[in-house]
Amino acid sequence: MLFDYVNVLVFMTVGVLFLVGSLLAARLASRLLHSRIHNLDKLTNYECGERPIGGTAIQFNIRFYVIALIFVIFEVEVVFLYPWAVVFKDLGFFAFVEMSIFILILLVGLAYVWCKGDLEWVKPSEISLARERSSQEHGEILHR
Amino acid sequence: MLLVIIFTIFAAITIISAGMVAFSQNIVYSAFSLLFTFFGIAGLYVLLAADFLAATQLLIYVGGILVLLLFGVMLTHKIQEVNLSNESMRLAPAAIVVLAFLGLLSIAIYRTQWPTVPVPELTPTTARIGTLFMTDYLLPFEIASLVLLTALVGAVFIARGRVKK
Amino acid sequence: MNLNWTAILPEIFITLTALGVLGIDLFYTRYQKDKTLNAIVTLSGMGIAFLLLPFLSAKTQIFTSLFVLDPLAIFFKMVFLISGSMTALISINYLKMEGFDLGEYYGVLLFSILGMMVMASANDFILIYLGLELMTVSFYVLSGFFKTDLRSNEAALKYLILGGFASALFLYGISLLYGVTGSTEISYIAGYLTEQTRTGADSVAGVTSAVLSHPLLSLSLIMLLAGLCFKVAAVPFHMWTPDVYEGAPTSVTAFMSVGPKAAGFVVMLRVLLVALGALEKQWMVILAVISILTMTLGNIVAIAQQNVKRMLAYSSIAHAGYILLGIVASARVLTAGSASVVFYILSYAFMNLGAFTVLLALRKEDKQTGLMVPAMDLEDFSGLSKRDPLTAFLMLIFMFSLTGIPPTAGFVGKFYLFMSAVDANLVWLAVIGVINSAISAYYYLRILVYIYMKEPKVVQSVDNSSSLWVALYVMALATLLIGILPNLLFNVARASVVSLF
Repeated sequence: MLFDYVNVLVFMTVGVLFLVGSLLAARLASRLLHSRIHNLDKLTNYECGERPIGGTAIQFNIRFYVIALIFVIFEVEVVFLYPWAVVFKDLGFFAFVEMSIFILILLVGLAYVWCKGDLEWVKPSEISLARERSSQEHGEILHR
Repeated sequence: MLLVIIFTIFAAITIISAGMVAFSQNIVYSAFSLLFTFFGIAGLYVLLAADFLAATQLLIYVGGILVLLLFGVMLTHKIQEVNLSNESMRLAPAAIVVLAFLGLLSIAIYRTQWPTVPVPELTPTTARIGTLFMTDYLLPFEIASLVLLTALVGAVFIARGRVKK
Repeated sequence: MNLNWTAILPEIFITLTALGVLGIDLFYTRYQKDKTLNAIVTLSGMGIAFLLLPFLSAKTQIFTSLFVLDPLAIFFKMVFLISGSMTALISINYLKMEGFDLGEYYGVLLFSILGMMVMASANDFILIYLGLELMTVSFYVLSGFFKTDLRSNEAALKYLILGGFASALFLYGISLLYGVTGSTEISYIAGYLTEQTRTGADSVAGVTSAVLSHPLLSLSLIMLLAGLCFKVAAVPFHMWTPDVYEGAPTSVTAFMSVGPKAAGFVVMLRVLLVALGALEKQWMVILAVISILTMTLGNIVAIAQQNVKRMLAYSSIAHAGYILLGIVASARVLTAGSASVVFYILSYAFMNLGAFTVLLALRKEDKQTGLMVPAMDLEDFSGLSKRDPLTAFLMLIFMFSLTGIPPTAGFVGKFYLFMSAVDANLVWLAVIGVINSAISAYYYLRILVYIYMKEPKVVQSVDNSSSLWVALYVMALATLLIGILPNLLFNVARASVVSLF
């Protein structure tokens, strides 16, 4: 059985070799071909031809984290589903009931995050709040 | 012999990258080094003929938890400061504790007469795990779902931005 | 597969209640002003589970080989349900006052109780670990429940990191034990190790058998002990306790100082006395040292505290030391020792929850803002007897009980504990316990000095919500009743542990 994984190992090794090889080749090619003129624009990060604003390290929105968290939990659920699916046919109805309980319990979790609005990306109230704030600021500016 | 070489490679990947996690000055490098640690451990699982566990390791730890960790790193508001570093502190006491523990473990492992069994025929483990989940280990299986639910509710509750009144 | 479903009925009920409470919060939230409904559902769910338990107690029931429902498990489940419902009662108004009246609280509280109940019944290390995780994960959340409070955040983070470390150690211990014995089932491990002892004794006189002298076995014992000592907050794994107890919401701290501790001790009883009973010579010495350190450090550091919540945290460390003393004694006098442990845990649950409840109920006026904030410092208690004699008297009962002054539960509990140590020929250990009780009198009675002999320094008020006072009366009455009529409960405790061996 162990040797079933040899092809994975070979695949992986080839992948790593390809990666290292291409990086080395690129390095070599750039050393041979690159021009010796440096200026500030040339040394900046490439950002679709625009001048980059700020650093590349930016603070992410907390929502990414919440979504990733939910993802991990349900990924673990899927991992539990897999061995069940392999033997489901042999074990029959009882196994189906057991798995249904398992999934139902986690569905409560899904209902929880859904109803509490953790899956919504931008909340409508936030948009209106932002609008209010900006119009207020405009008003102040106009007032002056 | 081939197995020994492969084992050595995976073990080396695990240990070296784990060391980089601990000693790297840059927290992002630490997080990425963790990827190789998880990967090396998955390789070791394969060598132990625990194929399902290896796949799970890759799927959950590399695919999920590491991403979560990286988000965690990117969420810190100090990320924009240039000299973001996590220096290793108090190296000496930590080294003493770690070496003492390592010594204790190695002595224990060498002096133990392991109750060994003949190596059974190596077969895919997934079906056996599935059967055990549905029969003998039914209760732990269902409780695992409750642990997951609690973790989900709790973590989302804590991570949620503000308190809804 | 023949499953005895009745054995897990209380757990099923608690699960359904927890899911129901989460459900109410999702779909019914529009029609309710506050979360009293959640609390009522929580309480009635725990009540029904509690009432179910005596009906199941006729004989030891088994749901697969992993889960047993013996009298010990039932006794501890009752302890968890009682302390859990007390916690729910005292939380109702507290959460409203602190502005965190959220439905998640009760759901997560129920899940933590479920985890403890699983731990009490587990006959397999895998199930123990899952119960432990369910309980701890819930407490990570509960201790950080006041999200805007920085100290609550700190408590949650500290508990999470150190708790994860302890769980990992525990798990490593389990895996080593599995490596040596080839099973994770407690009764199997017990049988295997006893067998090894017997065959070892047969072979060569004076030479223990190969398996029992395994260094790995000792190593796994140490790791299991480390994980459990963390959960019960015993020295040297107590570092998290003061900070977490101080930072967490007071209602959570109250429950945290009772529930997880009791759950840790029931696992300890099963693991040490049953699974690793053959290794008692090894763990007795370790536990005796831990017990002495825990008592002494807890009591001495508690003296220096000005913050009452922190003081009670150190006091709860010290009480873990007393209980460990009972476990050490039960290595020699099995029934008497473990019965005194079980008895003390119930008494401790009432008196400690009571003391925390008084702390939670007491509020003072903040001089700058004029708002009523939780009173935490020793100074805030000064002159309480003049303002509110009843609360002061209840605090007196709890403090007397924690010190071990008759006629309270704490006195009888300590009496049984120290007597079992004497029976086990561990007189010196009992003496250290008594000396420690004397030290503890200093800081427990100091609060009473502040309450009865000093003039008020701040404007105090006491929460007068009926739910809190019901809980307070129940706990004070129980503390006194156990102290006056201990035999009744001690017989129950003795009956509960007999089934273990």
